[in-house]
Amino acid sequence: MGIGDYPAEYNAKVHGPYDPARFYGKPDTPFGQVRLGEIGSWLARRNKHPSAIAGAFSRAWWRWQHKYVQPKRAGIAPFFQLVTGAMVFFYVINYAKLSKHKNYKYH
Amino acid sequence: MLSRASLLSGQQFKNLLALSARAASTTPASSAAAGSGDTSAISRPARQEPGKVRLGFVPEEWFTFFYKKTGVTGPYTLAVTLSTYLMSKEIYVMEHEYYSGLSLLILCIVGVKKLGPVIAKALDKGIDEYETQWNEGRESEKNALQEQIKNEEQLQWSAEGQTMLLDAKRENVGLQLEAAYRARVQTVHQEVKKRLDYQVEIINIENRINQRNLVDWVVTKVRSSITPDQEKQNIDKCIADLGALAK
Repeated sequence: MGIGDYPAEYNAKVHGPYDPARFYGKPDTPFGQVRLGEIGSWLARRNKHPSAIAGAFSRAWWRWQHKYVQPKRAGIAPFFQLVTGAMVFFYVINYAKLSKHKNYKYH
Repeated sequence: MLSRASLLSGQQFKNLLALSARAASTTPASSAAAGSGDTSAISRPARQEPGKVRLGFVPEEWFTFFYKKTGVTGPYTLAVTLSTYLMSKEIYVMEHEYYSGLSLLILCIVGVKKLGPVIAKALDKGIDEYETQWNEGRESEKNALQEQIKNEEQLQWSAEGQTMLLDAKRENVGLQLEAAYRARVQTVHQEVKKRLDYQVEIINIENRINQRNLVDWVVTKVRSSITPDQEKQNIDKCIADLGALAK
């Protein structure tokens, strides 16, 4: 599987048209249903290859796109989500500078 | 390109394998390879409805996630308490940008509330028009094809009528043939009867002539055989009979 190829598990004859938001491998327990004690083993089972991580981000991106951006009557929500995400991101990367503006010495 | 070439060659190799398996054994070894071509279970991705959000952008799922543990107010409580904590400890620093952000937020909310419905209406109308415009060709094509199918069925129906018509014509020709046959039989009958009548008439005429000739001959013979003496005796006898009758 190189750049621009489909995932190795994808088979057009079985899965039909390619859905970029879908994980074609064997599904593990969803993260929302993992118990706290099993999180370690759950994380250990994850594929940590850079391309797999990139694939996970790509799927998340496309899931977001399909849910909020691509529908026929999409609202303004995706724009505000992007703006909020950007605000948080830039707040975090600028935090070292912003923290110099603190007003109180003691809390 | 290389990966595609390798894929292609792999495909060919698989085909060769399947072929060789089919050639080597009579067991249905190729059915396993062909089974993956089953198209009935394929699910095509469909366009989704937009996801529900609260406060304009927060996914609904983030709220319902709390419902089981904390009830309906849980997420709001968490948001308020967390922001209170971040602000009071100045983890979130409220510098000058915070206040300009607040004013921007108010502007955004007012803008969404005021302009949102109008723009949404216009955009919905636009997307509907766009969709109908794209569907128009397809629909008209479909209608035309349906019309053609209807015409074709009409033609087939009339063609069936043609076969019926042909049957009727065939029957008609049969009837004509029958009539001609009967007319000829009639003529034959009449002609034969005419000839037979002729023969009968000839025989009758011959018989009549023969009879007449015979009678003439007999009469002349009898006449010639009657002597005058006999004639006189006869007349006398007649006169005597008449005299006896007159008494």
